[in-house]
Amino acid sequence: MTANVPEPLLALSGVNTFYGQAQVHFDLSITVARGHIVCLLGGNASGKSTTMKIILGLVKPRSGEVTFDGASLIGLSTPQIVRRGIASVPEARRLFADMSVRENILMGAFVRNDRDAVAQDLDRMLTLFPKLGQRLSQRAGSLSGGEQQMVAMARALMSRPRMIVMDEPTMGLSPLYVDRVLELIRTINQEGVSVFMVEQNASLALEIAHEAYVLQTGKIVLSGPARALKDDPRVRDAYLGGSEAA
Amino acid sequence: MSSWLDYTINGLIVGNVYALVAVGLALIFGVSRLINFAQGSIYLVGAYIGWVAVVQLHTPLPLTIIVVAAAAAVVGLIIERFGLRPLQNSVRIAPLLATIGISFVLDQLVMLTFSPNPRALPSQLPDVRFQVGGGTIGPLDLLIAGVGLTSALLLFVFLRYSKLGWAVRAASQDRDAAMQMGVDVNRVNQAVFGIAAALGGVSGMLVGMYYNQIDTAMSLQATLKGVVAEVVGGAGNVPGAVIGSLLLGLVESYGVAVFGTSYRNLFAFLLLVVVLVLRPNGLFASARQAPPEPLTGTFIAPSRPVRIPRWALLAAAAIFAVLPFFPVSFYVLQTLINAWLLGMLALSLTLVAGTMGQVSLGHAALLAIGAYTSALLSLTLSVPVGLAVIGGGLMSAALGTLLISPSFRLRGHYVSIATLAIGEIVSLVILNWESVTRGPIGISGIPPLSLFGYDLISPSSIYWFSFAVMVVLALLQGRLLGSHLGRSFRAIRDDDIAARAYGLSLNRYKSLAFIFGGFAAGVSGGIAAHLYSYINHETFNTQQSILALTVVILGGLGNVVGAIVGAVALVGLPEVFRIAAEYRILIYGIVLLLLVRFRPQGLLGTI
Ligand SMILES: Nc1ncnc2c1ncn2[C@@H]1O[C@H](COP(=O)(O)OP(=O)(O)OP(=O)(O)O)[C@@H](O)[C@H]1O
Ligand SMILES: [Mg+2]
Repeated sequence: MTANVPEPLLALSGVNTFYGQAQVHFDLSITVARGHIVCLLGGNASGKSTTMKIILGLVKPRSGEVTFDGASLIGLSTPQIVRRGIASVPEARRLFADMSVRENILMGAFVRNDRDAVAQDLDRMLTLFPKLGQRLSQRAGSLSGGEQQMVAMARALMSRPRMIVMDEPTMGLSPLYVDRVLELIRTINQEGVSVFMVEQNASLALEIAHEAYVLQTGKIVLSGPARALKDDPRVRDAYLGGSEAA
Repeated sequence: MSSWLDYTINGLIVGNVYALVAVGLALIFGVSRLINFAQGSIYLVGAYIGWVAVVQLHTPLPLTIIVVAAAAAVVGLIIERFGLRPLQNSVRIAPLLATIGISFVLDQLVMLTFSPNPRALPSQLPDVRFQVGGGTIGPLDLLIAGVGLTSALLLFVFLRYSKLGWAVRAASQDRDAAMQMGVDVNRVNQAVFGIAAALGGVSGMLVGMYYNQIDTAMSLQATLKGVVAEVVGGAGNVPGAVIGSLLLGLVESYGVAVFGTSYRNLFAFLLLVVVLVLRPNGLFASARQAPPEPLTGTFIAPSRPVRIPRWALLAAAAIFAVLPFFPVSFYVLQTLINAWLLGMLALSLTLVAGTMGQVSLGHAALLAIGAYTSALLSLTLSVPVGLAVIGGGLMSAALGTLLISPSFRLRGHYVSIATLAIGEIVSLVILNWESVTRGPIGISGIPPLSLFGYDLISPSSIYWFSFAVMVVLALLQGRLLGSHLGRSFRAIRDDDIAARAYGLSLNRYKSLAFIFGGFAAGVSGGIAAHLYSYINHETFNTQQSILALTVVILGGLGNVVGAIVGAVALVGLPEVFRIAAEYRILIYGIVLLLLVRFRPQGLLGTI
């Protein structure tokens, strides 16, 4: 059956992660197909952010394999992984608060050396995120949460990534901004960038995702096409959190 | 009689020199959240490289500056690569301790290479002075101002327009996020250590030329001044460091104008303590800003302490107790007496730094308070020596706790800075309070130890006395650690936020730890005063504070038996191996470095 499945862009297989004595991931396996939006759902402290950190090399798994485009990421440093083509929108956005919006966006292109193309991409970001135009020289820390989310997404796109990983991109945003963010994720994806996103808000995420996984205290309890999961009653239980669902 | 304008010019020039040191500290703190205690050593190295260049190679001034900057930068890169990078995933206290060890090693290497005697460092500039308003200014002043401004400009351009400069700024605002942009944090660290070292080295050379004198004592002074300026400006804040430095220069200069030269440092440290207490994030940080010290992660290396069976401890104590009955040499007893005195200090520090997590770098001040109190009580008030020593312990407990109490709300590296500063303040007050302490002359003719009217003159009686006192203190401390109080101390060390949420009053517990620790250290100082019969403001210095810290880490932070084992090892082994005195400090520095790198939990394990 596996013979004619195309090789996924990103694959985690059999990942076990520990913080000290505490195990956070149990035999975790996730794949992201090329060109797809894949969503990881789960309640608080289920290990979602840690999954992102594993992909980015910020946390090392004790065992298991992570491959990107067929090559292992284990043992690579975060900057090396970024240079392979993975950009990130971290939890709580993590902008460089004392740098200007322009500098923040340009920091996204840190791994690139083609200055002219970078300048063009900056212009492209301003058409994609028109509101940022007037804010370019403002301190990033002084923006509203929604605006900061736009900057974080623009910053991630500036590296011309093959894949973007996002940690709760809609967290703390007003409904208006939530819609915008989801729409932008879809646009980005249509331009050929694969997306792996972590979300607590299942109904929103399943709107735009192709596939989804449900994580419960470090174990994948459910996975499949988003359309199928949307109607699955177990999803609602699961993303509401571990203990109540049982 | 100099004019106010002269004092202002002098303050700004000295401030410029401090700025070169402080900016480097700020860059490093920004990226690594580390206070680099080796910065002064690089400054020292810079001064001596400048001396070699000027006096032996006869290089012209511009070339001298370049040579010094380049050589110092190489030293900085080596420190970063081999001293600190291996500690990246270590406990938080590790890099701080490593920079202390590195600074000891560098200072001693300079001393061994060039001898401790001061040397002249001519500036090769014409000795003329120009009239400016009511004051005068010389070519060297202009050079220093020029170097300061040029460095600031270059740094600004680097941070604002170069790719690496952007990486430095990004990493100092959010290290993880910078890595996710592809920034290689190791390269950023390299860059800031290189820059900091180049600036620090040039600063040392300029100071040497300014006073036309260099010596190895410059190192600690420079670190202290740089740290003061940096903290005043706000740790990690580069422009703040420049302003903090100029402010420090002015405060010192005006202080000297009003009170005299021996007060210079007192003003610097008072400024530091005031800023730390009132605005721990510096004068320019917005009040809302979170403290830059990371709040999570283990501070000291966790470990399972080595359990030593009770009978073994009793046997060891018995052997040491009967030792004087055997034909051991006077020299062996003398060495062990020193070990017991250091052991008492180590007991004190292992409680404060290990059990309570307040890594004090000024513990020698507690010795000094105990020593002066006991000496003065017995000399001027004719209090019996035995009581006077206890009085010294009580005074150390009370005064030490009182002095340290303003910094109870500080954490981590800031505690170390505050205790270092308080230690310096104590020594400066002793120097300047002549009516009581006899100032630089010191106190001589201190009566020998005595107990119930019997003088303890023979080496074995002194040995027994100090051993017995140490054992009693150790037993008390052992009881303390096992009690509810000891558990509360450790709870606060491991997570002060949770401890407070649990209803523990941090101030009360920190006070209790310092009262107990202050008593032990004060008694040690008191006994020492009566042994030495002469003490002055330099008898108990920072080197001893650091030695005590090394002992405590060697034994295992918080570990009572470890503190004594560490003291015996560090005092005894150099004697066993007949290591010459001038190499000892070097060895202590290397021991500290090796411990931090390979066995941060010490020989017997942390508790
Ligand atoms: N650096 C760390 N050290 C120790 N434990 C950690 C660390 N980071 C996370 N954890 C623990 O690991 C578990 C998973 O954390 P993680 O951040 O991955 O959860 P999450 O699913 O992203 O939660 P949230 O929805 O709150 O963002 C939690 O119990 C958390 O307390
Ligand atoms: Mg999370």
